Amino acid sequence: MSIFSILSQKPWTSDQAKIDDKHSGKSSSMPLPRVALYVSMIVMGVLFTLFSVAYIGRMAYGDWRVLPEPPLLWFNSLVILMSSFAFHKATLSLKENNNRRTREYLFLAGALTLGFITGQLFVWRELVSFGYFVSTNPSYAFFYLLTALHILHLLGGLIAWLFVVYKSFTAEDESSNFRLSVNLCAIYWHFLLIVWLILFTMLLLT
Amino acid sequence: MSESIIPESELEEVELYHPKSWWTEKVFSQDAKLIAIQYGLTAFAIGFVALVLSWFMRIQIAFPEMAIISEGTYYQFITMHGMIMVVYLLTALFLGAFGNYLIPLMVGARDMVFPYLNMVSYWTYLVAVLVLFVSFFTPGGPTGAGWTLYPPQAILGGTPGQETGIVLMLVSLCIFIVGFTMGGLNYVITVLQARTRGMTLMRMPLTVWGIFTATVLALFAFPALFVSAVMMLFDKLLMTSFFMPALVEFGENLSYGGGSPILFQHLFWFFGHPEVYIVALPAFGIVSDLISIHARKNIFGFRMMVWAIVGIGALSFIVWAHHMYVSGMNPYFGFFFATTTLIIAVPTALKVYNWILTLWKGNIHLTIPMLFCLGFIVTFLNGGLTGLFLGNVIVDVPLSDTYFVVAHFHMVMGIAPVLVILGAIYHWYPLITGKMLHDGMGRFHFWITFVGSYLIYFPMHYLGFIGVPRRYYEMGQTEALYTSSAADLNVFITIAALAVGFAQLVFIYNVFWSAKNGKVAEKNPWKSTSLEWQTPEQPPIHGNFGKELPVVYRWAYDYSVPGAEDDFIPQDVPNEKVKLAEGYKELGVEKT
Repeated sequence: MSIFSILSQKPWTSDQAKIDDKHSGKSSSMPLPRVALYVSMIVMGVLFTLFSVAYIGRMAYGDWRVLPEPPLLWFNSLVILMSSFAFHKATLSLKENNNRRTREYLFLAGALTLGFITGQLFVWRELVSFGYFVSTNPSYAFFYLLTALHILHLLGGLIAWLFVVYKSFTAEDESSNFRLSVNLCAIYWHFLLIVWLILFTMLLLT
Repeated sequence: MSESIIPESELEEVELYHPKSWWTEKVFSQDAKLIAIQYGLTAFAIGFVALVLSWFMRIQIAFPEMAIISEGTYYQFITMHGMIMVVYLLTALFLGAFGNYLIPLMVGARDMVFPYLNMVSYWTYLVAVLVLFVSFFTPGGPTGAGWTLYPPQAILGGTPGQETGIVLMLVSLCIFIVGFTMGGLNYVITVLQARTRGMTLMRMPLTVWGIFTATVLALFAFPALFVSAVMMLFDKLLMTSFFMPALVEFGENLSYGGGSPILFQHLFWFFGHPEVYIVALPAFGIVSDLISIHARKNIFGFRMMVWAIVGIGALSFIVWAHHMYVSGMNPYFGFFFATTTLIIAVPTALKVYNWILTLWKGNIHLTIPMLFCLGFIVTFLNGGLTGLFLGNVIVDVPLSDTYFVVAHFHMVMGIAPVLVILGAIYHWYPLITGKMLHDGMGRFHFWITFVGSYLIYFPMHYLGFIGVPRRYYEMGQTEALYTSSAADLNVFITIAALAVGFAQLVFIYNVFWSAKNGKVAEKNPWKSTSLEWQTPEQPPIHGNFGKELPVVYRWAYDYSVPGAEDDFIPQDVPNEKVKLAEGYKELGVEKT
């Protein structure tokens, strides 16, 4: 039901009461963790959007220096893409009830994510060794800030990933809770992949 | 209406968390009601600190020869007073305290959907409050940057508290936002997914609508404050130049360069203006319910009230730059924001009309909650009307740095929401404690607070008109520019402020005295229809609603329904169980 049709209801009339009396009380049939993830992703989206708006706004000033683009960033992007793909494969294996394969993909996704984070830290080291410090220019400061924020979100995801890996050893094959957890993790990883691709594009455009 | 049409419960009854020790029951509780009380007490404690700061400031302004505080301390007190009142008191009280207590009870849920997260939310808030409070005792003291924390001056030498105070303030805000986000997720998802059977969104009381919409606003707006706080921390600690332009301090070039202080202002006010409505919308909702209950009449224009809440919420995101008219912005930009600001007055005025029309021919009971509601309506109207002045660029520019602005925002977002909070406490205190607050002390509290507030803020409009600048810790040589009435008025305002402060002490005493010695409240003492009063026990116990969750058959405003014997029909009473008045055969149908 659209928000407009909800807002046009007249709850005091007896006709509307007959309809309302049958209402289950839920606005959506989605399970709670899924709703929680979606709402959280909206809030995170707002956070990254505001940082990006500040970034683009700051670019307009004359002293903005173009950020060097270490080739390692391309490699890291490929790694995070693969980790997202591994999560996707994990959900597919789950549909085939292949728990062992699911677990393998989960491990692969986690390892790739750790690889991505390590790769990002190497990029930082490379930039610092060239003398691009956080206080050198706003463009570098933004780079460190945005990548750090993205890494923090991935680390948060990895905590959830640990729970899911643990569940993969203990959960029953048909446990819907386990399925949901893997699915939600996959959605979160796709989200962080998209965030990274947008941030990377922005960095390239400077 | 037969029992058979009651829908099957789709919400599987989740096993409630049952505390196993005194610590998990009374301290690290996951029960939303206790968390609400923890939020409320913490907010009031830190709010009281902010109140005391205001007394020092008022004494300093009225009697500068006493030099009770130095100019640096004055700035620190202004800053802490403002930030504590807006964020740590009002936001935490409306969303953390009222949200936690009322949402589950009013929508018919046993608890919030994520009780553990809810508990963590409170303790995170407490850490934020403590970090802020600690700054009073650090070298250099708390920050004196003004509650808006504008760079570059906020982190430069010469500003009080630039050593550690500003860092603690920014860190505290970040912690607050993380804690709030956990609570906010709970409030939104509980409203969307954990309502009881029959409770459609449009059957929810306006209190829940107000808190729900304000929470959505906060989830969108607080990230902007988070972003600006993090970036300013970088500027302060890592010497980045997000907001810091090239500067010369004491003849020395600082290492900053090229940052934009205006960018901070945009980010800050993108949070700051919705923040006004994060405080106002729950107040609007609560006042609507209180007026309807204490005037024994359904709320006038219920749908419009919901639309106005949602509309004001949406519009509040496109008015922020009206706080920045004096920042040198493009006049076309100012024109746009002046227009949107005036447009937001339309749904707001609509709400005021609807409150008055609800009172019209109502059976008005002049209870203490009702007195506070009436006080709110006139105060909000006064504060809102001066907002129309300040919303216009050419009027705002000369008034911007005067006491007119202080009067405006204290009326509209200080006194008005506080009157609602106080009214709401008098209203829900019997539910929370099972006792009534003492009536005599309550009436004394209301009249001193209400009349006293007017004595404080009405004269400030005049001070603003004659050009007395705000933020000055004494008028000093500028006094010669104004009539002597300005200095006399400052003394008068200070006396009124101290009187109002004293009345709050009476209120605090009343809250603790009545909890022990108060008259035991009868069940549902205000004869309200909404679900929080229909619990088997009063105060409600863990799990709220006994064995079975209630089923809702009507909206929350069935007061004085023709044909019903009582002048209210609770939401969980079906039509066939309503006792008909003599001579009536059906509800809502003329006497036969």
